[in-house]
Amino acid sequence: MFALSELENDALIEIFNIGVGQAAASMSAIVNEAVRMSVPSVSFINRTEAARLLDGKSPEAENICGVSQHYEGAFATEAILMFPEDKSLEIVRLMVGESVPLKELTEMEQEAMCEIGNIILNSCVGTLANIFQRELHGSLPQYHIGTSDEILIASGSLPDTVVLMLHIDFLLEKHQIHGYVAFVLDVSALHDLKEQINLYIARAMGQA
Amino acid sequence: MTPTKTVLIVDDSRVSRLMARQYITGLHADWIVEEAGTGEESLLKARAVPPDLILMDVNMPGMGGIAAAELLRQQFPTIPISLLTANVQTATRERATQLGIGFMEKPITEARIAQLLATLEAV
Repeated sequence: MFALSELENDALIEIFNIGVGQAAASMSAIVNEAVRMSVPSVSFINRTEAARLLDGKSPEAENICGVSQHYEGAFATEAILMFPEDKSLEIVRLMVGESVPLKELTEMEQEAMCEIGNIILNSCVGTLANIFQRELHGSLPQYHIGTSDEILIASGSLPDTVVLMLHIDFLLEKHQIHGYVAFVLDVSALHDLKEQINLYIARAMGQA
Repeated sequence: MTPTKTVLIVDDSRVSRLMARQYITGLHADWIVEEAGTGEESLLKARAVPPDLILMDVNMPGMGGIAAAELLRQQFPTIPISLLTANVQTATRERATQLGIGFMEKPITEARIAQLLATLEAV
């Protein structure tokens, strides 16, 4: 059974917290308003339970719009940004401003959401790569619409696979739009991540 | 008054090209903005009409932005090129430095575009 020590768990949260801080800054620059992000929470669960956990975060929204990217390198992970589907056009409008006509905006909604996901996820993952002093190569962003369950399955492995899920809630304060970012790692990736965390701890303690 | 310049925006995201275009023409209404959606297209456009500045995304389908920038740098050693990318990793910044090109992180904002254009305004 995979486990992290208390120090490793603490370092994991701290590292992702820094990444999330950068992501919040990027999102705030996109939508031009304050963005509040929660401390990352870590769970070892299967994908179905992970989806249930995320569904519980936004019970009012039937469908979710998700943008996912797969990363390889120091460790492998699926990174997913999720918003209620009915808010995506509003977010795109905040990004591009009032000058773009609604028809054009609607036509480019998916593409714009991909770009927003690309910026926010890379901001976070890029910060992690810099902290680990390693490189992470990302795929092109993929756009999904569905329930949390469908999006998690579409972006990764089988429903009963145990994964580590880090999830972060965020809130666009002025427009009261909730969303979340999730990182899903399967067991083989966890060992690589643990190794990177231990190298980070060793550097922090002046042992590397 | 700054003489008219041509800026080539290379990005697979239509919305990013639209935003960069908006900010450039907002700052310089008479400047010409050309667009390319891939690295390959950027090479064709630059050969057809060499621009005064190239803004290059990194993560694109087909030829990536780094490879395209490397070829453009060889073919047009004097044209300023800057990456304009969500990839904020140190490794990407270092590659930009090695190629002798600039680096600007996304999201695209008016202030960041203004900073990229500032070098041309002085010429």
